[in-house]
Amino acid sequence: MTARLFLQVFSIQARKLMSYRADFWLNAVVLFFVEFGIAYFLWSAIFRASGATEIAGMTLQTMLLYYVSVLLLGKVVKGTERDITVSTEIYEGTLTRYLLYPSNYFGIKYAEHLGLMAPALVELVLFGLAAVLLIQPSGSVHVTPRTVAMAAVAVLLANLLQFALLFPIQAVGFWADNVWTLLVMYRFASQMLGGLFLPLNLFPDWSQPLLAALPFKYLFYFPATTLLGQVDDASWLRGIAVTAAWCVIAGLVGRWVWRRGTHQYTGVGI
Amino acid sequence: MIDVRALAKTFYVHRKAPGLWGSVRSLAVRDRVAKHAVDNVTFTVGAGEIIGLIGANGAGKTTLVKMLAGIIHPTSGDASVLGFRPWERDNALRQQIALIMGQKAQLWWDLPAADCFLLLKEIYRIPDDRYHQTLEYLTDVLDTRDEMNIQIRRLSLGERMKMELIASLLHTPRVVFLDEPTIGLDLTAQRAIRDFIISYRREHRPAMILTSHYMEDIERLCDRIVILSEGRIVYDGSLRDVVERYAKHKVVTAHLHDTGVSVGMDERVATLGQVLECNDLVIRMQVRRSDVAEASSALLERYPVADLTIEEEQVGTIIEQIMQARGLEQ
Repeated sequence: MTARLFLQVFSIQARKLMSYRADFWLNAVVLFFVEFGIAYFLWSAIFRASGATEIAGMTLQTMLLYYVSVLLLGKVVKGTERDITVSTEIYEGTLTRYLLYPSNYFGIKYAEHLGLMAPALVELVLFGLAAVLLIQPSGSVHVTPRTVAMAAVAVLLANLLQFALLFPIQAVGFWADNVWTLLVMYRFASQMLGGLFLPLNLFPDWSQPLLAALPFKYLFYFPATTLLGQVDDASWLRGIAVTAAWCVIAGLVGRWVWRRGTHQYTGVGI
Repeated sequence: MIDVRALAKTFYVHRKAPGLWGSVRSLAVRDRVAKHAVDNVTFTVGAGEIIGLIGANGAGKTTLVKMLAGIIHPTSGDASVLGFRPWERDNALRQQIALIMGQKAQLWWDLPAADCFLLLKEIYRIPDDRYHQTLEYLTDVLDTRDEMNIQIRRLSLGERMKMELIASLLHTPRVVFLDEPTIGLDLTAQRAIRDFIISYRREHRPAMILTSHYMEDIERLCDRIVILSEGRIVYDGSLRDVVERYAKHKVVTAHLHDTGVSVGMDERVATLGQVLECNDLVIRMQVRRSDVAEASSALLERYPVADLTIEEEQVGTIIEQIMQARGLEQ
């Protein structure tokens, strides 16, 4: 796959999504405020009711900055959650066109996935700046150009990992008539065990090695805490290595599933 | 260019009994039924040749095309397209083939045609000058210049089909599969698409396989036809031979002078052949080929004939008869 084709697909996807203005702003503004609003009211109430100034080493400000980071970076990692459309393409038979093209299907799909990340980047800049101005960093939060650069690498890898993990699940569509249940299970597991609902340091100690070995932590928690300056260099390197390893494992599984799946693809609907 | 040897494809489908009990039972036990979509098919297509693949719904036409385009794997047998095994999906082959499906949009619905073509230019790595030259030629012949910047979803079916043709031919493929390219189109659009295919064939001489339920597509575009029935080839030969070998009747039509004499009541008409239409102005009948001369002179003698025509049976009717006869044999 050529770089020009990759950029062309990326650009088309980004333009397509941002051409639906109402959808873009609803998705960006409303969803962010709803998600952040829930976290704000919940944790404000918990801190007030408990009378504690810190929970698991986090003040209320630190907790809120964590949620701003994880929600915004999470959007960049997840894209729009409707982008990896492999199963739909299998069911509707539109996969056929990609089997005819002399190009790499994974490459095209990943370029689309990245293209759909563009609106999330606009949100990240808009709300990220607003959050830094409104919520004063305190305690363990140290956002610096260095942590921003380290987080950018972690987010890019996390984005690739999300694509690699979702691909084999979607490709189950070659055999099953419906993969919706699997996708919902994946979404719940990845968001729960990835730190999107709760910071992972709130989980019990015995679960920490398990969380560190699973891929989900590296989708959301790891990039967010890296941005907030809570990850030292050695831990960051280890985190990047584990993310890359999971990308390779998921990629190999995806390739195997793809080969088996396309072998028995029937091109239904044509 | 295309060489098909004993190709076969069997699909396995689950059969579920109707009703609630059928659904509950299917959670535990499922009946699997084998469906032989293509069965031991052998034929070849040369450069510049266009063959019509004909058959009833479910005869295996589309399955065969899908195998030759590399979309699905066969159960057994072999095929070679431009020297490649299509289902191995070698990029060198995919650079040289095209599949146009009348029933399935292949372009991106949210994009204008111009953007789709630019994307295809990158996918097929078409050099700039060749891309512009080919696009110019195709948009001119198909008269689509004004619709290039409109989203595909907003185009009419005919306009969309023209865009699909352009998209599929931008890389000037050497082998083209056309699966029902005129389905659902009005007569003008059908004619435009046929004229275009003829002109494209003259210009580029690709090997083409056309499937269509419209006999006019087959008659205008194909010299040779392959008839499929229940996955098997029941006829492979020239379209003209079908008529000569299988047409047992001709259609004789006599247009009459309006003399006020009631022909409709004349029972002698039925003795000449199978009456298709009979009134005071027209007598149209199907007559055995050997009896045509006798029937014609009888008509001329007995009735005030103003004009007499003798035509071959419609190709579609003959093919339908072949398919029915061979289907019954199997």
